[in-house]
Amino acid sequence: MTSVRYAFTVMRVVLRSMWRRAEGRFSLLVLGLWLLVSLVSMFWTPWSLWWTDGYHVWQKPSMLHILGTDGSGADMVSWLMAGSRTNLLICVLTIVVTAIFGLLLLAAMLVRATMLAQMSVVVIDALISLPTVLLALILAVPFGPSVAVIVAACGFGYGLNLARIARPQALLVARSGYVEAAMSNGARASRVFLGHVVPNIRPVLVVQLSMSAGTVILAESGLTYLGIGVQSGVPSWGHSLATSVSFINVYPLTVLWSGLIITCVVLALNLFGDALRDCADPLSNAELRSIRQDGGAGQSSGEQQSSSEQQSSSAVLGQGVTRGSGQ
Amino acid sequence: MAENLRSGDAQGTSTETTGSIHDERQTSEQSADLPGSTDDSLNSYQKRHRSTPPWVWIVAVIAAVAIAAGGVFAYRHANSSSSVAETSQSISIGLKLAPTNLDIRNEAGAALDQVLIGNVYEGLVARNSENAVVPALAKSWTISKDAKTYTFTLHAGERFSNGDALDSKDVVWSLNSLIDNDYVNAQALANVESVSADGTTTVVLKLKAPDAALLWNLTGRAGLVLDEEAHYDAKTQAIGSGPYLVDSFKQNESLTLKANPRYWGSHQAKTHTVVLRYITDDNAAINALKSNNVQVLAPITANLSSSVSNDGDVVVKAGNDTDKFVLAFNSTGPKTADKRVRQAIRYAIDNKALISSRGGADELLGGPIPSLDPGYEDLTKLYPFNQNKAKELLSEAGYSTSKPLKLDFEYANIYGTEIGDQLRSQLKAVGIDLNVKVVEFSAWLNDVYTNKNYDLSLVDHNESHDFNAWANPEYYFNYDNKQVQELYAKAVSSTSDAAYESYLKQAARLVSEDAPADWLFNYRVTTAYRKSVTGFPLNLNQSLLPLWNVQNKA
Repeated sequence: MTSVRYAFTVMRVVLRSMWRRAEGRFSLLVLGLWLLVSLVSMFWTPWSLWWTDGYHVWQKPSMLHILGTDGSGADMVSWLMAGSRTNLLICVLTIVVTAIFGLLLLAAMLVRATMLAQMSVVVIDALISLPTVLLALILAVPFGPSVAVIVAACGFGYGLNLARIARPQALLVARSGYVEAAMSNGARASRVFLGHVVPNIRPVLVVQLSMSAGTVILAESGLTYLGIGVQSGVPSWGHSLATSVSFINVYPLTVLWSGLIITCVVLALNLFGDALRDCADPLSNAELRSIRQDGGAGQSSGEQQSSSEQQSSSAVLGQGVTRGSGQ
Repeated sequence: MAENLRSGDAQGTSTETTGSIHDERQTSEQSADLPGSTDDSLNSYQKRHRSTPPWVWIVAVIAAVAIAAGGVFAYRHANSSSSVAETSQSISIGLKLAPTNLDIRNEAGAALDQVLIGNVYEGLVARNSENAVVPALAKSWTISKDAKTYTFTLHAGERFSNGDALDSKDVVWSLNSLIDNDYVNAQALANVESVSADGTTTVVLKLKAPDAALLWNLTGRAGLVLDEEAHYDAKTQAIGSGPYLVDSFKQNESLTLKANPRYWGSHQAKTHTVVLRYITDDNAAINALKSNNVQVLAPITANLSSSVSNDGDVVVKAGNDTDKFVLAFNSTGPKTADKRVRQAIRYAIDNKALISSRGGADELLGGPIPSLDPGYEDLTKLYPFNQNKAKELLSEAGYSTSKPLKLDFEYANIYGTEIGDQLRSQLKAVGIDLNVKVVEFSAWLNDVYTNKNYDLSLVDHNESHDFNAWANPEYYFNYDNKQVQELYAKAVSSTSDAAYESYLKQAARLVSEDAPADWLFNYRVTTAYRKSVTGFPLNLNQSLLPLWNVQNKA
């Protein structure tokens, strides 16, 4: 029970310190609004998604249609609202796939069997040169355009990137004294990986995953524009952008709305990663440090010391070690 | 003195490097290193160097660049103004669909008919802008009473652009080689028994059975007359008897036509050079028109035309065409085999809304025959937009809100997503769930055209005189109506135009009543051109584009 309360306290402190920073506040506001709109759109949109009016296409913004109508006479706001739901789903799924796939690859690169480790490095380096768009194109031929294709293609591509970027830091951890000690004490490799390596590369993970989340939103609009993103009739920001972009000369406003939303959300996701890394790091966030000392009484004693000492063998403190040596 | 020289040398090397170092050196010397400046020779050396400060060089370079840029601009301006003065000699036309090569015998597609027939190649007969048959190489013709013998009389003195004479022998060879080698459109001459020459200006066609569509078919590829003796690469060149020659062909980019100096007839080209540019992107095409890179744009998307029509120099006009946007219902499909379902869909579709959303240029079409084709009749009243009737028919067929009708709708992505979104929304209103799949054209060809595995499908059937598709049970419509097939056979074998049209009219009405499809609208091609351009054909210009009369009076 105490550990749950402890987790809540940490989260509250992290969110509070993010809120104090300008970029953190911006990203929290935008992402919060995104979640809210997605939730609302599941039960209510100003107009039904099924409603079109061929006599009133490309309407200018009015009281009836706040952002106007699109090329089939459907309400822009409703489609953008419903689109936020699809994009949220794509975003979350891609983060999950990227994290799982990236960590699996990372584990493969860290194994003691040198042959396997070397080979996986070479294979990953080779695969990283494969463009995500090409991969999505290849997948879209047999499976047709769908959310799954976007998630699979992007999760694969970003997972490779994640593994490649996290590797140097993970190697440092894997060769550190405390991992040696754990191994000689008989700890299993999987436990060392999840218990020591992953927590220590958390800053890199946070930044990479939030960047993946931002990039997949861009990828979704790009792929949908090419006709291999979400299926026709599925609302998404990319769909709204793609349908209006061919009319940009005549109706530039319609492109603006979806473009603005995509830009804001991608920016917010990228800033969110940065802010979260800084605020969730006990070394740079003094408030978090004090919480850990007060509230972490139930935790191991090694963790209490960890925040103040630079050199230590605890898992949390390893973060400091990697940060110090990496920069 | 030696010391002075040395310091002077040091100064010299430093000034030789870059301006910024030189400046730094000066300021530091002036502020801190005063003893150096007391020496006369050093001072004079510094002065000499200060007399050409680096900014002079910068200014000189900028001036040189400016003069060069100005010169280039002036040169180009002079060139462009001279080309403006010459515009009556040349004109650029923006088109959309490009032919892959110029081989009119082996390469199918309307893009080739559009640019070559009537311009480079000529047929025995031709089509006017109302889709009616008019004389071309043949100045007249007679048809025997049993409608089985056609006798054509050629103009005297006809010749190809390479100087060869064009006479009845060339006609016989052209038609026979088309039939023998089964070139594109050879089936149009399926009823021809023999083609023979009688003297140098008379050609006789004998038929196995009367064929009312034969004359019209001869206006297309089937009737083209080519030069047997000419040897050229048909993929990049074309030698015919028309008012234009192919000057150069760049695949997917442009086709340049030049006036044929040896042209024999009355359609002498009024503009010496015509450049046909292929621009697939709508926005790029409009920019080309705005910047006067092209003087004509055919077609322009009707919804986009407002961006140029506000410009006082550009005229936007729609012309009639034979394009039919056919929403086909699989007549043997598991759900669409039920006539009530097909009728319900026709009642549920608001064709006027579709047309309005596309810019309002298109026309309502209630049956398989458009207004420019023989046998046309206004059938739009057969299935007016009536949602209540659609719901009644659906409940008769056993569908309700608890058991909604679910249909797949597959079409190629070239028609855009809007039309699918709108149909889904319109059918939703009467209780039909439409699962729209927008696919690549090749996927559509495989699923729908070849395997006939579909519920609903959409294609723009742009051919003229193509009613035979409804009399052919093997076609992807799966439409099999014996009465229609009999009427069509009677129409084709009829000996008079009036009989031909009346049979077709009856057959078309039967087809429309059976509701094997909804003819969403008759697409009308929208053309945009500069005010100075005259003589550009508006009707049918996606398959028939005679350019001899086009002029740019700038």
